[in-house]
Amino acid sequence: MAFLPDESRSLPPPPLLNKGSMWLGFMGWLSALLDNAFNQRPVLRAGVHRQILFATVGCFVGYQLVKRTEYVYAKVDRELFEYIRHHPVDFQTA
Amino acid sequence: MAAGLRAVRRWALAAPAPPGLAFTRSAFVVQKANNAQPNWLGVGLAFSTSAALWALLLKEHNEDVMEYERRKQARGQKCTRCS
Repeated sequence: MAFLPDESRSLPPPPLLNKGSMWLGFMGWLSALLDNAFNQRPVLRAGVHRQILFATVGCFVGYQLVKRTEYVYAKVDRELFEYIRHHPVDFQTA
Repeated sequence: MAAGLRAVRRWALAAPAPPGLAFTRSAFVVQKANNAQPNWLGVGLAFSTSAALWALLLKEHNEDVMEYERRKQARGQKCTRCS
């Protein structure tokens, strides 16, 4: 199965800075800071290009992962509602 | 550290192939990174890659929004009962 099938584009796209992309962006930034710490450089002030790059990669990967997550959840919901529609007897609310 | 340097000299003189433990002792054979002189190529590549990734991300997001709106329009005209 493709990472993001075509029908996933029928879903509303997640906002650019969502929980997943922000968290992974933060993790990327943190790993750049960690790299500074392990190489005995000033933690915040050194390697700003590295911090920006890692944070950007994290945001990018996070966005793609959140899109796939939402697609998988929507697919499961659709199958669930289809099942409910095909088996009304089991879901009487009377 | 002196023992490591002696080991390096021994290996360089005696063996063509480094012993299996060379990887764990690689700190003694590489040069210390010089953080005072920036690796401008690396910096340029990092910034340009970041800019490219952001541009790609923004473009993809805007395309996704437009595609979603377009499909919603198409679906809205086809079927008004759909959720």
